[in-house]
Amino acid sequence: MLKIRGLSYRYPGAEAHALDNVSISVTRGRILGLLGPNGAGKSTLADHLAGLIKVQHGTIELDGLSITEARRRDPTRIAVAPQNFAFYPVLTVTENLACFVAANRLRGASARSAIERCLAFTQLEAHADTRAEHLSGGFRRRLNLAIALLSDPELLVLDEPTVGVDPRSRALLLNAVKGLAASGTALIYTSHYMEEVEAIADDVAILHRGRLLRHNTLKNLLSEGGAHLQITLVELPPADLVQRLAGYGRVRAKGLHLTVELFSGISPAAPLAAVDKSGANIRETRFGQYSLDQLFRRLTEYS
Amino acid sequence: MLAGLIRKELLVLSRDPHALAALFLMPAVFIIVMSFALKNMYAPSLDRLAYGIVSSENTEIATRFMHIWENTHGPALGLDPNWTHALRQGRLDYVLTLEAGMAEAISSPHPPPEAVVRLQAEPGLDQGALRALQAELTNSLSDLRASALQAEWPDLMPAVTLSILHFVAVEQISTDTAKPSAVQQNVPAWLVFGMFFVVTAIASLFVQEQRDGTLARLAGIGVPHRIQVLAKALPYVAVNIAQAALMIAVGVYLMPLLGGEALSLAGIHWPALTLVVGAVSFAAIGFALLLACLVRTHAQANALGPMLNILMAAFGGIMVPTFVMPTAMQTAATYSPMNWGLEGLLTVLLRHGDVSETLPWVGRLCLFGAITLLLAGTLFPRRIKR
Repeated sequence: MLKIRGLSYRYPGAEAHALDNVSISVTRGRILGLLGPNGAGKSTLADHLAGLIKVQHGTIELDGLSITEARRRDPTRIAVAPQNFAFYPVLTVTENLACFVAANRLRGASARSAIERCLAFTQLEAHADTRAEHLSGGFRRRLNLAIALLSDPELLVLDEPTVGVDPRSRALLLNAVKGLAASGTALIYTSHYMEEVEAIADDVAILHRGRLLRHNTLKNLLSEGGAHLQITLVELPPADLVQRLAGYGRVRAKGLHLTVELFSGISPAAPLAAVDKSGANIRETRFGQYSLDQLFRRLTEYS
Repeated sequence: MLAGLIRKELLVLSRDPHALAALFLMPAVFIIVMSFALKNMYAPSLDRLAYGIVSSENTEIATRFMHIWENTHGPALGLDPNWTHALRQGRLDYVLTLEAGMAEAISSPHPPPEAVVRLQAEPGLDQGALRALQAELTNSLSDLRASALQAEWPDLMPAVTLSILHFVAVEQISTDTAKPSAVQQNVPAWLVFGMFFVVTAIASLFVQEQRDGTLARLAGIGVPHRIQVLAKALPYVAVNIAQAALMIAVGVYLMPLLGGEALSLAGIHWPALTLVVGAVSFAAIGFALLLACLVRTHAQANALGPMLNILMAAFGGIMVPTFVMPTAMQTAATYSPMNWGLEGLLTVLLRHGDVSETLPWVGRLCLFGAITLLLAGTLFPRRIKR
């Protein structure tokens, strides 16, 4: 549905690119988890999709149409729920929805229907007449999402939608996101909570300093991380131990701790035997697959 | 789309008590307070001044003089021995002293060696009022002297009317009122001031929406920039019209209830008034939108807006009327948009001017509004980024 190819963007006066040759695709009914530390370029990408900044280099296509043309024909096909509470605090939930439904060019029965649908979807009916400024953080997030859903978008960009929400609202929002994907909406979900992305995303893209480090299915990405062996020694390792272990994987040494990211097909027994042979005494070992969080940190740390 | 955004703007404004107070209560209070405070400055009525007469004479001429003066100025107040202190303190506006020998001097063909009638005024008496009293005093004594000389030498002087008052006619061109009152000056002045106060309301809300990301969100939905600007401007036209209606109502109905003078609307040209109010609104909103696009924080919006308003008001003759300013300041006043608005409204409310007579002021206001709106429209897209 959405195809981004070779997208680069540099803000006026900036030395570095905010986005540097980024290529991502998003499919209907799937959730793309977009990860990256602060300043990675996630918001710049979202601003491109929202039409707030123009493409400098590369292309963004929505069903074969350039993003400019697609937005010109129907700007409501893509909706963005920003990280900010982008609504009017002194207005009630319904008044806020009425304002944005009007901005979406909906009137009369279709406007009322959209408001009722979004109130129900986000379970905000009981707070329909409450001013937004009096809502809790979780309900504000729901309102932020409800506004984005008014136009029943084909592509929904959610920017940190669970920041500062209680567990109940978090669960509701995550279920809502999965429900939207199940109904055919394409979603881009940015978050700093890796466990959330791991729980709901079908695909993951990792941005760092404007560059795309990885873009794959979640399953492939996790398996790509491979296995890792963490060894804690009793005393500092012999000088040649790191070199000995390098034949089994990429080695990081820090004080008494050694981490070996095992090459494909290598079992942990071989590096452990090498440590033993070097004369070093092992206090503790850990072996396992990388989680998304570990993978993300590893990738962004090395890049 | 536009209607929904306008409704939102009005709802947000209606729930901001501070903005409502600044837009409606503040100018109304200014009209009332300043009209009473500056009442005598705008129209120092000579017949309402507190005065006393000290007479060392008990002659017919002195009695006639006092009778003539009291007919015009009301009865003189009784003076205690320490009346000079009361005069210095302003509890008395002036005192007339009829010196001994006044009757003789007036009936004599030769001028007296010293003044026989003295006018002493309190330090704060308006210079214009003092000169008017002096002229009236001179005229009264001239009449008395002419009559006395005629009675003294009837053969020498023919029996003709000698009073020079009959030779001079003074008329101030006006409509149904003799001269502008404090209310007639203050209602338009503070109305213009209040209308320009939309600057703070618009700029403050704009900063809030920019920070919350609602402007960007609306742009993301595909709301064109011009619609966003229009949706911000149009509600404030309604606000300005409501302000005009309220301030004029304060002048017409409330001021007399409080014991002040009423603003008279008899004979005014309503289309001209509508045009001037519309032009002031256009200029104020254009200026407000430009400022909104320039400021980046609430602190800037809340400080810069009122500060510029007060400066424009001070220069433009809102706080201090231009006629009391020195020439250089009067020239500077002509560059203040608030002065254009004030002069336009005075043209209608005081001089009963029609549309064509307001055009110089309306033209300047519209040009100012168009330039500021154009600049705001150019800056607006840059300010909606998240």
